[in-house]
Amino acid sequence: MKKQIAGAAALAIAATLTPAAFAADYTIGVSNTVQGNGWREEMICAMRAQALVEADVSNLIVAHRNTDSAGQLEDINNLIEAGVDAIVLNPSNPDALNSALNAAMEKGIVVVAVDAGVTADGAYILSNNQEEYAYLGAKWLFEQLGGKGDVVYMRGIAGVSADTDRDNGFKRALAEHPDIKVVHEVFTGWQQDQGKQQMFDFLATGIPFDGVWTSGIDNVIVDAFVESGAPLVPIVGADNAGFVQYLTEVDGLTGAAVTNPGSVGGAGVALAVDILNGSPPAEKTVLVNPVLWENASDEGRATIKAAQNPNLDPEWPVSVSVPGWTDYTMDQIIACKGPGDS
Amino acid sequence: MSDLIRKNAWVAGLVVLLAALLAITKIIQPSFGASGLESVARAALPFAFATAGMAVVVIVGGIDLSVASMMAVCAVTAAVLMEKISGVPAVMIVLALGLAMGLINGALIVVTRVPDIVVTLAMLFVWEGAALLILETPGGSTSEWLQTGIRGSLVPGLPNALVIIAAAVALVWVPLRRSRLGISIYATGSNERAAFRSGVDVGRTRILAYGVCGMFCAFGGLSLASLTGIGEPVPGPYLMASVAAVVLGGVVLGGGRGGLLGPIIAVFILRIVRTILTLLAVDPNVTTIIEGTIMVCVVMLGTALTLRGARK
Repeated sequence: MKKQIAGAAALAIAATLTPAAFAADYTIGVSNTVQGNGWREEMICAMRAQALVEADVSNLIVAHRNTDSAGQLEDINNLIEAGVDAIVLNPSNPDALNSALNAAMEKGIVVVAVDAGVTADGAYILSNNQEEYAYLGAKWLFEQLGGKGDVVYMRGIAGVSADTDRDNGFKRALAEHPDIKVVHEVFTGWQQDQGKQQMFDFLATGIPFDGVWTSGIDNVIVDAFVESGAPLVPIVGADNAGFVQYLTEVDGLTGAAVTNPGSVGGAGVALAVDILNGSPPAEKTVLVNPVLWENASDEGRATIKAAQNPNLDPEWPVSVSVPGWTDYTMDQIIACKGPGDS
Repeated sequence: MSDLIRKNAWVAGLVVLLAALLAITKIIQPSFGASGLESVARAALPFAFATAGMAVVVIVGGIDLSVASMMAVCAVTAAVLMEKISGVPAVMIVLALGLAMGLINGALIVVTRVPDIVVTLAMLFVWEGAALLILETPGGSTSEWLQTGIRGSLVPGLPNALVIIAAAVALVWVPLRRSRLGISIYATGSNERAAFRSGVDVGRTRILAYGVCGMFCAFGGLSLASLTGIGEPVPGPYLMASVAAVVLGGVVLGGGRGGLLGPIIAVFILRIVRTILTLLAVDPNVTTIIEGTIMVCVVMLGTALTLRGARK
């Protein structure tokens, strides 16, 4: 009888403790193969910050170095040995990692590839929606021009999937605005100097145009206008620190920055936790939608002001969070501390 | 027996260190077992071949800075060839290509009399460019049997990757070391002039040593292509890692002393250190500092012990 009472008491205590003790105890592994690039560093810090605020994540193991696909295979295998519950990786190649990723999934480890895809069956992919990125910026630009005018279309690298996706988005916006014409289409190769020279060359022809859409080569385009003394037209770029600063500082510049955040890494960690907790997304591929920051309205200018932070690394994209996915504060991502980091 | 241990004191020390590190791994992660060893052996494969090649040229008194680039050329060649022809002839062609690249390196050094370090530095860029010409972006494919053969353990507890390293080294190096050429390589490395006066064709010896290095790089490139299933034209981090493993493995920079067993054990030590640091979730930026520190300490300790032994 005494035993039974003690047992009942233990049960009662356990029952009261259960809700608090029920937070899962996940270890998440991260693998990345480019070190020292602002976008990738923001991605890693977003992963750490998100892991810190996820109640169910107790440990984050980061394998982050400059290496090749064989090195990433080694890192992923080491993470499997470390007994992680999920692996969030930025793959060096879509095909090269399948042996390790399949081995991970056979052990029940959740695999989430961020930024780029992998071909391993069963892996989740989370990346920025590049088609929406182009559509959002182009639509804003065309509406800014009153639905009528000539625009310069500066793309990235021919054949790269991000450029192809962005082209589809741009064409979609173009189809919705029949009176907008593309007077000039070039590939910048995502090279700052090349894009600037192309804009110089086109300004020199004297052909009039009303707006510019560029695929992430943006602040140097503003420079080209200013240096050649041409009147500024509306320009759409990305949320690179230099361009966002121009949007607040350059007189007469109307423009918009579309976000392409490295913080998708944080969204990848959030997705991995959701899957571990039994709520996987409907599709294996999840696209994160971009946000547009413009300086044509007071509201837009306020948004840009709020996004800027002097403590933010100038090499990072300015958008440090992904609405609807990441839960950390700006201070937390700047601190770049994960669970267990002192 | 004690004589054998004394002669191979450095290698014996490395074996003890490796055993200790494996024990530490097991303590940190009790589930670490056969599959963990297997993945470490696989990770070590390209490093082991780069190191074997580097060790041969260091023993002959040179250095080859183009090992990683030659591996990239071989990896992309293998991946491109295997899309069109079957695996075995492709492997043969790649091995011949590695040998040829090594011989070109060696011939340039001997004929031009430009220091090894300068010639192979230049060739680093030449081979890197060649790899990009063959395959601009990562791609191609590797025969299925290579990809599956490199994985797993045919004999339980003995990873295939380890067997491949042992077989390749045994096939190339063991007969070579006992041959006339092997003796010439050591003689040239320890004192080139004395070797020359004893009738060793030092020029030919050096060219052939670079050829052997090239062939080991071909094995390395093939292992990269087999591990990933594709060819990557941009060289991986194998140059510095191979120099580090050669030094840690007891081969004297300057030539004439050391073997291949020590450096290959050193490769495993460096890989298992990375595994341990990953298991401990050490900050990745600190990882490389720890790796470097361990290396310096081991070499310093080893040198001190060797000097004390020599004085006795």
